[in-house]
Amino acid sequence: MNWTLLRGTLHQHRTSIFWFAFGLVSYSWMMTWFYPQLGGTQYADMVESLPPEMLAIFGGTEVSFASLGGYFQTEYLGLMWIIIVASALMIFAARAFAGEIAEGTMEFVLTQPVSRVKVAVTRAVALIGYALVLAVSSFAPIKIFGPKYDIDLSWGTFWQLFAFGMLFMLAIGGLALLLSSMFRGGGKPGGIAAGVLFLMWIADLVANVSEVAEVLDPVNLVTYWQPGRIINGDPVADAAWWLYGILAAVTLVGSVVIFSRRDVA
Amino acid sequence: MDAISTRGLTKYYGRTRGVEDLTMCVPEGAVYGFLGPNGAGKTTTIRCLLGMLKPTAGTSDVLGERITLDGATLRRRIGYVAGEVKLYDRETGHWHLDYVAGFRGSKGVLTKDLLDRFDFDPSKKVKELSKGNKQKLALILGMAHDPELLILDEPTSGLDPLNQEAVYSVIDERVAAGRTVFLSSHVLSEVERVCDRVGIIRSGRLVAEEGVKALLGKRLREIEVTFAEPVDPGFLDAVPGIDKVLAVSDTVLSARAKGDVVDAVIKRIAERRVADLRIQQASLEDVFLEYYRAADGDEAHVRAEGGEAR
Repeated sequence: MNWTLLRGTLHQHRTSIFWFAFGLVSYSWMMTWFYPQLGGTQYADMVESLPPEMLAIFGGTEVSFASLGGYFQTEYLGLMWIIIVASALMIFAARAFAGEIAEGTMEFVLTQPVSRVKVAVTRAVALIGYALVLAVSSFAPIKIFGPKYDIDLSWGTFWQLFAFGMLFMLAIGGLALLLSSMFRGGGKPGGIAAGVLFLMWIADLVANVSEVAEVLDPVNLVTYWQPGRIINGDPVADAAWWLYGILAAVTLVGSVVIFSRRDVA
Repeated sequence: MDAISTRGLTKYYGRTRGVEDLTMCVPEGAVYGFLGPNGAGKTTTIRCLLGMLKPTAGTSDVLGERITLDGATLRRRIGYVAGEVKLYDRETGHWHLDYVAGFRGSKGVLTKDLLDRFDFDPSKKVKELSKGNKQKLALILGMAHDPELLILDEPTSGLDPLNQEAVYSVIDERVAAGRTVFLSSHVLSEVERVCDRVGIIRSGRLVAEEGVKALLGKRLREIEVTFAEPVDPGFLDAVPGIDKVLAVSDTVLSARAKGDVVDAVIKRIAERRVADLRIQQASLEDVFLEYYRAADGDEAHVRAEGGEAR
């Protein structure tokens, strides 16, 4: 890894990192603040009475909205949070290789005495750092502000949620980084990664009304994303940890290998 | 030792030719001009030399090291200035200087000198700079570390004549200090001004390689003879190597002489009373265009005259 490149990479993304982090902190704090008004009330009964297909849109089929985990999953983490963090990471990853190659700035970097492997590893580390910032911004406000609004998230639950969220983000970000290492121009890798995630979301939605789409469940990142279960103190499937972990590792290593062997021009 | 040597260097982008079977040597301490029009393969060659492109075939050595895609230690000894400057728009000149210093371990020894000579203000963001000022920043970033080999891809693009001259004088100084310069350009006056050897690339192939002085001295001359009495317009046709004879008037003939034909021309025109004679070396531009006018079938002819095209 190269510290100069790491500092430079994070510096160039400082504005987007700040705004995405600020947005997530505000959103998480707002959802924590709203919990006493919305959770466990008539509103909860209304949400519970919605057809499962509609609840599935917000990722709320596995946990009851009346529970703390169900509230956060349905109102925040099941859909809006995915859109926010996926956008942030895909924009970052798409620019990391493909975007900079198209803009010509990668040529400037590669004329400096730094190896291709170090450039690629540093960009992967920067992506991990970005995911860390997003994870802290997403989950720390729930832990910090929670007690004021009758939310008691134990440290064990918090760290489990944090780790699960990190792996989910790295799986998505890693996929975008892998695509970025293959293309020239940030549009394609960002678009393909977003398209893949959207198809997974659609497949998860369809799987709630049709068994045909359930065939994709074992590899569907969205289906396995059940942070509400963790918040409620229930375990998530081991396969979820494995799927996210393996996908993150393979895509991050793959992006380093591909970038270190490709033409940069 | 050669600062740059390539053997059969070939790069195809799919089916599109970038550069083909390029074999050339640039001796240490030389200022080598790499001439060719847009699309001839100059930038592809440079990117192969910098390890940004993986050659389809052939090998390249720079400063005694074989080029690989991961040659970080070698790039410490090379300075590169791109033809089309691409820097981080939202960052300042200072930021870029610090960024490069971070990679190289220290600020470049020539940084202050170059900032002064190019009269460049590094406090502005790149997006606020004119094309010429971006080019100045790229030159400072590429040359500040006094690299052993400077690879310059059309380095004076967008610069005013004063700053162009500043670039030439920096090049002269670095060469005097024992550095090597590889200058890709299609600005022939620039090559004529700073280079001592030139390679001409056409359609991805090196078609000629020669010393600039020899190229200018041997190749083409523009001849204009004013006779004291009217002469036949075909009076010079019989002289070997003379072509494009133009009868400006019944007493004035102009022609282009190719090769060592001055003696034959003098002897021929001495058969009549001469009022005036002007023999002018053709510019490198004329020489260059002569190469490019030649059809592919004429390449052998050009090579034979050009000496050691490889």
